[in-house]
Amino acid sequence: MTAARIAKTAAYAALIGYAALSLYPFLWMVSGAFKTREEILDGGHLIPREPTFDTLVTTWNQLAFVDYFRNSLIVTGLTVLGVLVVYSLASYAFAVLRFPGAKTLYWLFVALLFVPGITVLLPVVILENRLGLLGTHMGLVLPFVNGTAPLTVLLLTAAYRSVPKELREAARADGAGEARIYLRVYLPLTRPAHITIAVLTAVPTWNEYVLSRVSLNDKSLYTLPLGLESLISGTVVRYNEVLAASLIMVLPVIALFAFLQRYFVNGLVGAVKG
Amino acid sequence: MEVRRITRPTRWREWVTGWAFVFPAVALFALMGVYTIGSGLALSFASWNGFTPEWIWVGLENYADLLWADPSLAPGVRRAAWNTLQVCLAVPLLTVLISLPLAVMLNSVRRLRGLLRSVYFLPYVTTGIATYYAWRYLLEPEGSINLMLRSVGLGSLAQPQGWLANPSTALWTLILILVWSSVPTATLLYLTGLQAIDPSMVEAARIDGAAPRQVLRRIIVPLLTPMTAGIVLLGVRDSLHGFQIFLIMTNGGPGGHTNVLALETYELAFFKGLAPTLGLSSALGWLLFVAAVLLTLANARLLRRVR
Repeated sequence: MTAARIAKTAAYAALIGYAALSLYPFLWMVSGAFKTREEILDGGHLIPREPTFDTLVTTWNQLAFVDYFRNSLIVTGLTVLGVLVVYSLASYAFAVLRFPGAKTLYWLFVALLFVPGITVLLPVVILENRLGLLGTHMGLVLPFVNGTAPLTVLLLTAAYRSVPKELREAARADGAGEARIYLRVYLPLTRPAHITIAVLTAVPTWNEYVLSRVSLNDKSLYTLPLGLESLISGTVVRYNEVLAASLIMVLPVIALFAFLQRYFVNGLVGAVKG
Repeated sequence: MEVRRITRPTRWREWVTGWAFVFPAVALFALMGVYTIGSGLALSFASWNGFTPEWIWVGLENYADLLWADPSLAPGVRRAAWNTLQVCLAVPLLTVLISLPLAVMLNSVRRLRGLLRSVYFLPYVTTGIATYYAWRYLLEPEGSINLMLRSVGLGSLAQPQGWLANPSTALWTLILILVWSSVPTATLLYLTGLQAIDPSMVEAARIDGAAPRQVLRRIIVPLLTPMTAGIVLLGVRDSLHGFQIFLIMTNGGPGGHTNVLALETYELAFFKGLAPTLGLSSALGWLLFVAAVLLTLANARLLRRVR
């Protein structure tokens, strides 16, 4: 074997080794979700001896997972929608339009990157309590949207700036107004960046636990992370059900990512180059 | 023939359009941002338990209590600060040390590249409470990690009380899981950086007789420095701000060995009953903010010198 061949083999070994490590907890999640209560207890084997669907079905039914699932969809959906509308417009203005205060506002939004979420968590709860928003889904969506501002504005402004100015001049010469230029020229050209933002917003929102924990009291409004938590906070932890619930929770995100992966990667590339 | 005149919108019109476009973002910030930042900062100079109608102004006392003055608080805060510092240094460093070689190797192979890239991204997509619970299960006394170590003859390394219950392994176990979940984005960013490098540059060096290792050290790694800077910066920020994993996997335990500053802030804000700790929580939150800014500045200086 030549040195180059050995190097290549070693590279593949390392790459596949790390792939196994990336998959590791996920594989056990799948494995546990198909094990019975008894089998999970004598755990060392990955492949269930008698795979069963019962665990998934029981977990889904007993914990009103339909409700949790729907609530998570509502909160994540509204957050992504909010982020895409609010900061797409603002970033367009920062990148393309000239108006007093543009620069100051842009840097203000970017500087918020340094304000830790935990620092404003308590004031958010106090404020929402006063406004009567605490414990509602809207009470989660508003701070979630606001919290994505720095990274979203940074990435989308860079994406809009990479669109050639000539296109805007041409559209204007044809008599198009600002709204039309935004919708017909800039939005289609920055689609990958918008999809990247959608994924970067959806994943942490779907998994958000802290604000949801301290604000939601009504069980019928619980999102998936809180439903999952209720499985583990009891005295006896049935890990097959915990893993089944975890699987139910991560599958939609994996599906979403698989579906959007190509755009997501392109958007990230564009953002980094911009 | 009439020449069609291009009407130039007056400056004023562009101003109004600009303001209209940023209005929703500014309105939301005015509602959720201005008030919360302002009142949070004010609260850090007051004493309040969340129930009494009045705040009692205490000046800088909260900050002093946290840093040195209150013997029931300061030692715990200092220990959490030390844990936080370890996380802030180790996570970005290890992330870079793993994801850079991973990206270079992935970029050098052709077969399986797309599949591997997707698989590597899985930890990012699934990270959060679901995966943390799966890790908890694997790290239990009879969990798969211990069983695996025993089966390959490394039983002496196994942790009979579980990896998260042993004070000497808990923090580093969590650090490794944090690295595991931050490698995906870093690898993807490095991969984009590598694809942007002009191949003729690498080719020229090779023709001049540079060994592959030299090419890597002298050309590729320096060209990726901006990427590294970004990854380290975001890594430090995430380690300083994030505490979900600490809350969910150990809740700071065993015996405060995995307590971090953000988690302490959270405890002071929501889990002290009627004790007036809300001002202390706010003060600690703002100390975190200052730490984030200082660490970022230090980082930027350090990286500039390296470059």
